[in-house]
This record gives sequence, C-alpha cells and structure tokens, in this order.
Amino acid sequence: MHEPRDGRHAITETLPETPQEVTEKVLHNHLATGPLFRVAAVFCGVLLLLGVVGFILRVAGGFDDRTKWGYYGAIFFYILTTAQAAPIVSVAMRMAKNHWRRPLARAAELYAIVGVLNLLIFIPLLFVLPSAAGRRSLWLDGAARMNAGGSGWPPLAPHLWIALMLAGLVFLGLALLYTAALPDLATVRDHSTSKRHSMLRRLTLGWRGTPFQWRAHRAALGVLGGLYFMFYISTHSFIAIDYGVALVPGWKDSIFPAFQVLSSLQSALAITLVTMFFLRQTGGYKEFFYVDPFWALSKILLATTILWFYFWWASFFTFWYGRTQAEQNVLQLLMFGPYRPLFILAFLFSFLLPFLLLIWNAVRKSILGPTVAAALVLAGNFFDRLRVYVASFSVEDIRAHQLESVPAAHLPDGADILIILGALGGLVLFYLVGTRLVPVLSMWELKEYLTLRRIRPFLKTHVRVMAKPE
Amino acid sequence: MQERRPLSDVQINKALLRNVLAAPLWFWGLVLLLALVVAAGAGAAGWMFNRGTGVLGVNRPAMWGFLIVNFVFWIGISHAGVMLSAILRLAYAEWRRPMVRAAEVLTVFSLMTAMLMPFIHSGRPWRLAYWAFPYDFARGIFPNIRSALIWDPSAVFTYLISSSLFILVTLLPDIAVIRDRTTGIRHKIYSAMALGWRGTPRQWRLQGIAGILLSAIILPIFVSVHSIVSWDFGMAVSVEGWHATIFAPYFVIGAVLSGVSAVVTLMALMRWLFKWEDHIREEHFDAMGRLLVVIATAWFYFFAMEFMFGLFTLEPQEVALRQLQVFEWPWSALFIIFILTAYFIPVPLWLFRSVRRNVAAMFWISIMVNIGMWLERFIIIVPGLLRKQPFTFVWGSYRPSPIEIIIVAATFCLVALGILLFSKVFPLVPLAEAKEGQILADQIKVGKKTIPAVMREE
Repeated sequence: MHEPRDGRHAITETLPETPQEVTEKVLHNHLATGPLFRVAAVFCGVLLLLGVVGFILRVAGGFDDRTKWGYYGAIFFYILTTAQAAPIVSVAMRMAKNHWRRPLARAAELYAIVGVLNLLIFIPLLFVLPSAAGRRSLWLDGAARMNAGGSGWPPLAPHLWIALMLAGLVFLGLALLYTAALPDLATVRDHSTSKRHSMLRRLTLGWRGTPFQWRAHRAALGVLGGLYFMFYISTHSFIAIDYGVALVPGWKDSIFPAFQVLSSLQSALAITLVTMFFLRQTGGYKEFFYVDPFWALSKILLATTILWFYFWWASFFTFWYGRTQAEQNVLQLLMFGPYRPLFILAFLFSFLLPFLLLIWNAVRKSILGPTVAAALVLAGNFFDRLRVYVASFSVEDIRAHQLESVPAAHLPDGADILIILGALGGLVLFYLVGTRLVPVLSMWELKEYLTLRRIRPFLKTHVRVMAKPE
Repeated sequence: MQERRPLSDVQINKALLRNVLAAPLWFWGLVLLLALVVAAGAGAAGWMFNRGTGVLGVNRPAMWGFLIVNFVFWIGISHAGVMLSAILRLAYAEWRRPMVRAAEVLTVFSLMTAMLMPFIHSGRPWRLAYWAFPYDFARGIFPNIRSALIWDPSAVFTYLISSSLFILVTLLPDIAVIRDRTTGIRHKIYSAMALGWRGTPRQWRLQGIAGILLSAIILPIFVSVHSIVSWDFGMAVSVEGWHATIFAPYFVIGAVLSGVSAVVTLMALMRWLFKWEDHIREEHFDAMGRLLVVIATAWFYFFAMEFMFGLFTLEPQEVALRQLQVFEWPWSALFIIFILTAYFIPVPLWLFRSVRRNVAAMFWISIMVNIGMWLERFIIIVPGLLRKQPFTFVWGSYRPSPIEIIIVAATFCLVALGILLFSKVFPLVPLAEAKEGQILADQIKVGKKTIPAVMREE
C-alpha cells in the first residue's frame, strides 16, 4: 500500500483503497496516544512555563520602554505569520477545489487553536502601542490632530480595533476548524464510548450526514472561508502597519502590508509542510502524506518565495533609487545598519536558499526536499520578524518628520530568550493538544476523494480520472 | 470541463479552420472598416509629426497625456497572454484550452501597439536610433541607462520576442494541419513554417517541454515588464503620488485584471463571430468570471493600500493631489466612474453564477472593466503631473486634442485588425488543445449518477 502499485508508475498515490479503511486507520491513530507524544507535550509544557517566567520578568519592567518589548512583539508576529496563518492554506486550497489538499487540509486548519495562545500574547502589546494622537497613523485623525493632541478615529483607535480584528480572526479560525471537523467528530463519536461519546454527542449537534446537513455544511464552509480570508488579509495588513511602519518616522512603505501578508502565506505553507513531514514520520500517517501533496505545496512555496524577493525588491529599489535622506535612514535601520546580520539571514533563509532548492523538480517531487526548504523558510521568517519589529520598537521619537538617527541594535536579554522559547513551546503544545481533540486528517474529504477518483488504464499506463460534479 | 459535446477530430478541424481556409464576406468588410480607422490614426500621427507636438493637448505642467496613458493601458492588456497561457498551463487548468491562443495573440498585438505610443508621443520617432546609439558619436554620449525610461523598451521587446516564440511553438501542430489542407503557394509557406512537424511522439514530447519551459521563463519577464513600466513613474521622487513602493505589484495586478477582462471580451466576440459555441462555452466564461473576482479583489487591495499610504503622512502636497483626484471636477467624476466600473459594479455581478454564464453580460462587463482600468491610468498619470511641484507656475489642466483622441481610438482598431488578420492565417483556438481536451474527457458513475470526469496522467 505504501509503494506505488505495479503497472501504475505514473501514479504515486498511496491512500487506502476504501472509505472504511480511511476511517479505521485515522481513528486508530487518533484514539491512541503514544509515548513520543507525551514526551513532546511535557517538553513543550516546560518551555511554556519558562516563557511565563520570562513574561513576568518583562511585565515587571513596565510598559513604558517600548524597546524592551521588541522581541516580545517579534515573537507575537512570528506566530501570527506562521502557525496562526496556516488555516489560510486549507481555506485557499478548498476554494480552489484542489484534490491534493485533502490529506493536508486539517493539519493546516488545526493551527487555528494556536491563535488562542497568540491572542493572549497580544494583550500586553496593547499597552506598548502608543496612542495615535500626534503621530503618523493609518487611523488618520490621530495624525491630523498632531497639534491638538486629540485621540484617534474611530474612538479608541488603533488599540480597540486591531484587538477586535485579531479576536475576530481567532474566532473565525476556530469556527472554521469546528465546522470543517464536524463530520469527522461525528465519526469519532460513533466509534467511542462513555465520556468522550457523550461530550462529542453534544458537540456534533446531531450530525447524521443527511443531504440537507451536507448542503448546509458546504455552505457554512464557503461563508466561513470567505470571511476568514477577508479577516486574514485585513488583520495582517493593519496590525503590521500599526506595529511596524507607523512607529518609524519616514517609513512610507505602501507595499509593507502586502509583504507581511505574503510572508505569512509563505510561512503558512512552510509550517504545513513541516507538520506533514512530522505526521508522516512520527504520527503514523505515512500512507496519507505521500509525495503528491508535498510536490504540489512546494510549487506554491516556490512561487511565494520568488514573490518574497519581488516584493522586497520593489520596496528596497524604490527607496534606494529615491535617494532622499528619510529613505536612506529607513534602509539603514531595516537592512544595512545595526540589523544587517538579521537582514542577511532573513534574505538567505526566506529567499535565496529555498529558491535554490525548490527550482529543481527532483527536489520538489520528494518528501525531504520541500520539508528542508520549508524549515529554512520558517527560520527566515523568524529572522525577518526580528529585523522588522525589534528595529521598529527601538525607535524612540516616533513623532519626528523623518528618522533623524538610526538607533543602535537592541540585543535580547534573558527574559527575551525565555519568552521566545516559551512562545515556541506553547505553539507546539497547543497544536499537540489540538490533535487529541480533533482528528488530524480530514476523513470526510479523503472519503469524498476516493468516491470521485478512479484509476483506469490508458494506452500503456494507468491514469487517474477525477469526477467533476460541480 | 463538464459541458463538452463529444466532437470528432474532423469536426474540430472543420469548425476551427473555417476562417483560415475560406473567410466569409463579413470578415473582409470588418477588416476594411478597421483599416480605415487605423489609417485615420496614422494620418493623425503623420499630421502631428509634420506640425509638431503642439497639436497635442499636453502642455506644462502635464507633459504626459492620452498617448502615455494609452501606452500603459496596452502594456496592461498584454499581460493577459502569459497570465492565462503560462500560469494555467503550469497549473494544468482544463478550462484554459479554448482561450490560450487568443490571449497570446492579444499579448503580441497589444505590445506592438503599446510601443507605438511613446514613439508617437516623442514627436520625432526617427530619433528612435538614440535608444541604441550615442547621442553624440564624437563624444560618445549614450542614453542614461540609469533611467527607467531606458529599461522600458528592453523589457517590452524581450517580452514581445518571448511571447512570439511562445505562440510559434504552440502553433506548430496547427500549422502542420493547415499545411496538409492547403495547396500551391500557401502550402509551401505553411510547410516552411511547420518546420517539418509530423506529430511523432518525440516531436510532441519536445513541444510539450518547450511549452512548459517557455511558460516558466516568460513568467518573470511578464512581471518585470509592468514593474518597469510602473517605475517610469515610481522612480520619480518629485511627482506626488508616484513615488510609492507598491507601484510595481499594483501595476502588475492591474494589468492582469484589464488583460484577463480583455480576453473575456475577445472570447465573446470569437464565439459570436466564428460561431464557436461548442468550443467557447458558458462554463469557460464562468471560470473566467471566478478568476476575475479573485484578481479584481487583489487589485482592489493594492489600490486601497496605495491610496491609504498616500494619505498616511498627511503631507499637504499629497493631500492636495488626492483632493484633486477625488473631489475636484472633472477628476472627481472620472474617479467615480473608474472605481465603479473597475470594481464595485463588476465584482458583485460576477458573484452570481447566472451572470458569469451569460455571454452578453460578461462581454459588456469586461468592456466596463477596461474603461475603468484606462481611467485608472489616466487618474494616476495626469493629476500627479498637475501637482508635481510645490510652486508650480502654471496651474493649467490637461485637455486631450482631437489628434490624441483619434490616435487612441485607432489603437483599439489596430489591435482588433491584427487579431482579425491573424485569424485568417492561423486558428484562434488551438486545434491540438481542443483535441487533447476531447481525449482526456471521461465519465464516472457514482451511485446512480454519471458524472463528467477528466483524465490526468501526471
């Protein structure tokens, strides 16, 4: 089953043959908890506790010195643009009706659970963000009242509104996960007993898989997917402006919000690929994560990697060519000054190395190749978030007309390191807990695929024939 | 696709080669009509060369007007070819088949037309030689290669060459079919162009590889072309509203929106004029409509970012420009028409399946989008120049002259004429693609239902 079938050399698919087999294999893995899982959960739990210690130390220092919160802000943005962005992979591929998405859809949307952790991490950042009054802000009234010292518009902007946007994104992610998992939760319900059964009976809202329920399910997924997509784009754009561009005088960079969205899309693909690799190697799902999903996802990863360079170049080139003092100082701050090592690392890991790997089809059409490229991208995004947000948070006079002097590099202290480790540990821990609550494979989508797919002889080979009911 | 009517190879050849082998009378009437308008445009340009650029509406401070706007517009339309052909080919999108050739041809003719604009605008097109040779041989003074205006022709001509090559490679099997159905001098010409195509497995394999390779190579060129066009504006620090980092992708996505809309216009015309209902079906318009919703929304996002960042710093000059664009007559009216026709009318309409599957509706909506996208370029270019200096000594506005209007109108006829003449020589729907689509079509029985299916070999 794990190897391509004889005489079907063109087809690399290794999925189980029947829907029943899918249910049996997924449930077998879902209901059992192995020792490796426990070790990983305990390890991540310890890291999370260390992070809490680091957080307490950071809060004890107060919120006035924004520079000290730079690494905290960066790790928030890292999670926002990696784990919390992952559901978009599932949403987008479901909208595009790609069949290869079916094994990976749930693995991606399960990261919605990590959004809860990131929402908690975000709360202190509200106290770090200065009022919009008297400074440049996308919430226009703040800047307009520079001399009057008034507040932003709409009321309590930007704090209330970006918090609501982020909360909305988290809520929609969870709603999407729940809706998408509903048929699978019903399957688990029907195969479990006692406590789990009664809990799932309430959660599944009487799901029986009637035609009406399936129609409603499909419509709900469409609506939630559309809403999630809109919240995803707008939240990333606004929050990136408020915590990045708006804090650096003279940084008038209209492509930056789009760059942030693109970086998050690239990292969302990367974290999905890495997750698929771990589920394949250690989760017992080897036959579900065959080469096709890796191959398909790596093509999109390559496209986003090239776009990363394009967006960066469009920004850099306009500033570099413009030659105004304000633009040169921004380039110094973000790329060529105190944070140059971070910029070089970000450039290497987010663009150059994954690009050089992924341009080869042999690398893309493998399990390990896309995984390595994805791991590089995740590292690159980490360096890039540090570069942008530690630098932005380190600017003191945010009300100046342009950046007068480039602040020195702000290095992490012990609390910063604990916070970073804790946040990463928490990310993995939340995901691990999620895999115990919801099956990590979308059983109903896989079964639908098996229903719509046939393998037929064609000339001297065998081909896959896909039904198109819509 | 699901609504395909089974057609034999003979039926496909007969339908798609009808115009190539024996064009109807209306065809020549249309060619004549378009040629007359093109001749009028050529006459207007000739008049301008004779009398000087004073007959144009451009004057200080707005020295770029209709002709440069039209240049950007046609460069934008040219992005349809690669977008549809290369990306959909790489993505194995089944519904691409009937429109790829028309899209590629549209690319080539709109690029050629676009390049005419700056040459006419210069007023002295014979000085074209200075793009390649020194201004002054004795002192070796070359054009300033640090100027985006010099990068532009390099990018556009590279795109033109690669697009032409792309068309030629994909045309080979079809040329061979025509070769085998013609006699005399036509047979000889088609034989030479077919490069000995016999349809052997090796030739098909090589043709497939060449198509994929060219698709991958053209994609960066396609992005670079409109990026560089955007930098004609974006590199200028002194003009308010132009020096924006988002300009390159904003222009590219805008180009894709107008280009794909133009392909929809072309698809509808091909369906009506050549009676290709079996090949260009409602489901193809449906797929294009869905694609356009995504592209238009992405474009709107970039537009919103560009506009918001214009106001972000609240610098008086930038605010004055936005005020001119949005609130001052006649720009305010043009702005409203632009934003309505480019996004707020078409996208809500495209959300309805019944609209997407209505050929006439799609035709008119696609034209509406391109009216909006033409105005978009106009609103970016001219008001920016009108407010380019803090102490502008001439506060005149821009009003296009009849010469400019005639030239711009003629460019639309020139592109239409080019495509029409192409359709007399080569099929606008690829025969090979249509036949492959028939071979890959299948059916699957699920329960009591028989569902249309598609074969995928990869």
